[in-house]
Amino acid sequence: MEGHKDVLYGLYNDEDVLMDAITKAQKDHLDIHDVFTPFPVHGLDDVMGLSESRLHIAGFVYGALGTLTAFLFMTWVFTRDWPIIFGGKPYWSVPAFIPITFELTVLFSCVGMVVTYYTVCGMGPGADNPTLDDRITDDKFCLSFNVSNSSKDEIESLKGFLTESGAEETNIKTI
Amino acid sequence: MNQFTFTGREKMVLMFFMALGAICLAATYFVEPATMVVMNHGHEETVSTHHMRFWSNFLQNVVFFLGMAFTAMFGYCAFITAYGGWFSGMKRLWEAYALWMGVGLIMMLILIAGVWMHWHHLYHWNAHGVTDINDPHYDEIIAGKAPFLNKYWYTFATLICVGVYVFITMRIRSLSVAEDNGVKGDYSYHNKMRGWMAAFLPWGAFTSAILIWQWMMSVDAHWYSTMYAWNVTASFFVGLLSMTVLMLIYLKSRGYFVYVTENHMHDIGKYLFGFSVFWTYTWFSQYMLIWYSNNGEETIYFLTRRDQYPILFYGNLVLNFALPFLILIRNSSKRKFGTIGLVAAITFFGHWFDMFYLIKPGALINIAGSNDAATALGSVTGYALPGLLELGTFLGFTAMFIYFTFSKLSEAALAPTNDPYIGESVTHHVI
Amino acid sequence: MSHHPIISPLRHTLITGDKTYHDITEDICAPSEKVPSTAWVIAFILSVTVLGFGVFCILWTIWMGIGTWNLNRTIGWGWDITNFVWWIGIGHAGTLISAILLLFRQKWRTGVNRAAEAMTIFAVMCAGLFPLIHMGRLWLGFFIFPYPNTRGPLWVNFNSPLLWDVFAISTYFTVSLLFWYTGLVPDLATLRDRSKGLRRKIYSFVAFGWTGSAKHWQRFESLSLILAGIATPLVLSVHTIVSFDFATSVIPGWHTTIFPPYFVAGAIFSGFAMVLTLMIITRKVLKLEDYITMQHIESMNKVIVLTATMVGVAYLTELFISWYSQYPYEQFAFYNRATGIYFWSYVGMMGCNVLVPQIFWVEKYRRNITLTFFMSIFINIGMWFERFVIIVTTLARDYLPSSWSYYVPTWVEIGIYIGTFGLFFTLYLLFTRVAPVVAIAEVKSILKTSGSQYTGVVNRKAVDYKEAAVEADHVHVGHEHH
Repeated sequence: MEGHKDVLYGLYNDEDVLMDAITKAQKDHLDIHDVFTPFPVHGLDDVMGLSESRLHIAGFVYGALGTLTAFLFMTWVFTRDWPIIFGGKPYWSVPAFIPITFELTVLFSCVGMVVTYYTVCGMGPGADNPTLDDRITDDKFCLSFNVSNSSKDEIESLKGFLTESGAEETNIKTI
Repeated sequence: MNQFTFTGREKMVLMFFMALGAICLAATYFVEPATMVVMNHGHEETVSTHHMRFWSNFLQNVVFFLGMAFTAMFGYCAFITAYGGWFSGMKRLWEAYALWMGVGLIMMLILIAGVWMHWHHLYHWNAHGVTDINDPHYDEIIAGKAPFLNKYWYTFATLICVGVYVFITMRIRSLSVAEDNGVKGDYSYHNKMRGWMAAFLPWGAFTSAILIWQWMMSVDAHWYSTMYAWNVTASFFVGLLSMTVLMLIYLKSRGYFVYVTENHMHDIGKYLFGFSVFWTYTWFSQYMLIWYSNNGEETIYFLTRRDQYPILFYGNLVLNFALPFLILIRNSSKRKFGTIGLVAAITFFGHWFDMFYLIKPGALINIAGSNDAATALGSVTGYALPGLLELGTFLGFTAMFIYFTFSKLSEAALAPTNDPYIGESVTHHVI
Repeated sequence: MSHHPIISPLRHTLITGDKTYHDITEDICAPSEKVPSTAWVIAFILSVTVLGFGVFCILWTIWMGIGTWNLNRTIGWGWDITNFVWWIGIGHAGTLISAILLLFRQKWRTGVNRAAEAMTIFAVMCAGLFPLIHMGRLWLGFFIFPYPNTRGPLWVNFNSPLLWDVFAISTYFTVSLLFWYTGLVPDLATLRDRSKGLRRKIYSFVAFGWTGSAKHWQRFESLSLILAGIATPLVLSVHTIVSFDFATSVIPGWHTTIFPPYFVAGAIFSGFAMVLTLMIITRKVLKLEDYITMQHIESMNKVIVLTATMVGVAYLTELFISWYSQYPYEQFAFYNRATGIYFWSYVGMMGCNVLVPQIFWVEKYRRNITLTFFMSIFINIGMWFERFVIIVTTLARDYLPSSWSYYVPTWVEIGIYIGTFGLFFTLYLLFTRVAPVVAIAEVKSILKTSGSQYTGVVNRKAVDYKEAAVEADHVHVGHEHH
């Protein structure tokens, strides 16, 4: 089980200052805990060196599953289970299956991806993830370090780093 | 490297392929037998081929390249009107393509002359006696359509519609070139261009459909589909995007268009992907609706193509839907020049192939005199599948198109340095 | 080192009033944090009343039977399906704005996407009512889903366009809802972090534990982009399939292959008109003029003129090809539309949809709010007429002249239609109270490229584009030789 951790964080007023601070922290080999922003900052994942999200692969797999489900099910119904002739069309009338096949592809892919997204982010109805500061969803950009096992000197030097790199405020919070 | 130089070596190579194309095209005029024996209504009949193979090849290529040039202008206007900043860096390329419409118009004059002089029998509505009620060849449906399907209107609409396209294209081109030498920060050229572009869009949208019905759909004079023009236009546009990808890869390898990066390629790739899907959408909607309601006079069109020309019918879908869809669905494949170049080569050929599929079966029916007679002929060289001569002709036209593009590119700077969006374009970054 | 790419001096300002990030939060959160205004309360009471009347009419239909409608042979579809197609069409703008405009990187979408998506969801709900009621025995509505049953199992007819509709609309509704809610989560977190007590508890629940972590944002953006990529063909497919309801038949005037793209263009057209109607009121009442600016309205008017022209091309195409077909029934169908008993609806359709919107070629009119407001209503009347022309005019003139008739709706049919407005506005008004009407995070993300203090030829520090181009050229050349 995950225990509580002490997090030192600095709040910045501008995303450009934050990004420069991250670059600097990486140059100094500081171990960033996480970065929080009020909106998706363009280029932040590159600066942080985050690996590309693989959601699209999941989306493709779900979609393919939807395609197969719809097409094979309709094929089974109309060629094996209960073949009926409609309007002089063959039992296995592929053009008529395409609309529903398409819709289920989209449905499976979207629902699957959204569920996956919330699951991997640890989010969901009523989920109560701790936040560091209420202003992060307003206008503050936050850079944080895990200081649970750090000495007082290390904390001071990190605090110094935050202030020097442009943080307006620094704070420690146990989450 | 802001000035393109058309090297002697390039000219030589292109000239070689143009000569090859000319030889292939000329060959189709002579190798096709002058007459064919067909079974019409249970008895044998000898019909003249009217050099149909030559003329249908000519029509197919003229229309394909002219259509690509038209969509270049249309797309250019749409991008600028919608503030598409990323595009500015490569606008000179599309200007060069769009100017091809002038050449296309001249080629259309040959087809028009053919209509007047009865050199070809591409259009059954132009045959002797079909609109004359006292003639044994009288065709009630075609006679009803005669106010639209006649040589006067064919000539007039072609000249007026394409003429205006060419005129507006040249206006825009000259403003665009003048902008380069204008005062920095003076965007009055740009604003004037926007005005012309706004005018081009509705005019192009309304008239291109008329031209496509006349030039292509009326090869099957009885058949009609309201979707046809949109489907064909989508085909032209994918052809154009493919050509653009291949051209940029080549030009970049020569050191031009350095500021057109994989980010721009990514965007073109998205269009290539998106419009391949759109083309399929129009194709499917048209096919499915006609298949579903099962009206004899409509389904005959697809029935002939599906059962007599399965390679054309299914090959078309593989080349223009399945392959580009599956390859380009990944973002990374839109950014790798090798992969997107491969797709572009497939779809460029694919949409030329689509034109073949649209025109040739109807052309054969026009020779044979009826659908049944054409069916009884089986596979006829130059109609069932593109033969070597057709491929050679295609290469020739492509070479000519490239030759023209290169000569237009060499007439102006490659980067429109005074374009208000050029800054955005050169720093363009997707994702 | 700057993280911002060069922005063209011709780019328009999309956020006026030199806002800071905090201003954006304050302004957009304000409507849902204050006591509702009198105007809101009156509007709400009115909407609920109208909704109540609609519910009464629906119950009346169910209780007395579908005979309370004036549907009769040969007019099996009347106001019900007209209204269904109309609402579904309106329900296209939201996903279109969030999906297609996202793919086309049109930044102005951020001002209107949230409300437009909400509107989409409500419009689809209104639309879905009609086919359900029209089925007659509403309590057997679940028969439309393919599930194992004791009747064979007798499956639904997968070859029927009406069933395709069931799949298309339920998929569209689900995906729009997911897309909308996913985008809403970060903004709900903003509301959460600004509130206390019970309100905070409620917003915590619905904000799904959003923290704003960089990795989450990255996934969020990736998800939005893929959802947009998938939702784009989905939007197209929905009205395409609605058009299949008509076009797969052999009825003259219905069976035409251009129907799919033409319905889609019409849907976008009417959807944008409805967005304009709502946005013009919303921005005024909720004081959001700095976020839904003149530029937004002008951009939407450009989409209006584009789609008006597209439906114009489609109308003329149909008209021409009906003659070209040389098929007398087809020719009659269109002759009848233009000159028959319902000629007024054809005139309304052509006038409101094709002719009048052409005034938006003129910049002055595009930027005139009063005119835009009236135009947006005009267009939706026109689009309603379009569906009426397609459905009623066609069905009133069947193959047998002896069955020709003239259809007028009963008060019940009219009442249900009016009731859907009650439903729509009730939901929309509630939405403006509980959630941010403008996407807060997305507006913040375009502040530095589109905020008034950063844009415009006058305000911006001059950037030398010519040199930038040459420099970029140089850098790349150098890079390649490296």
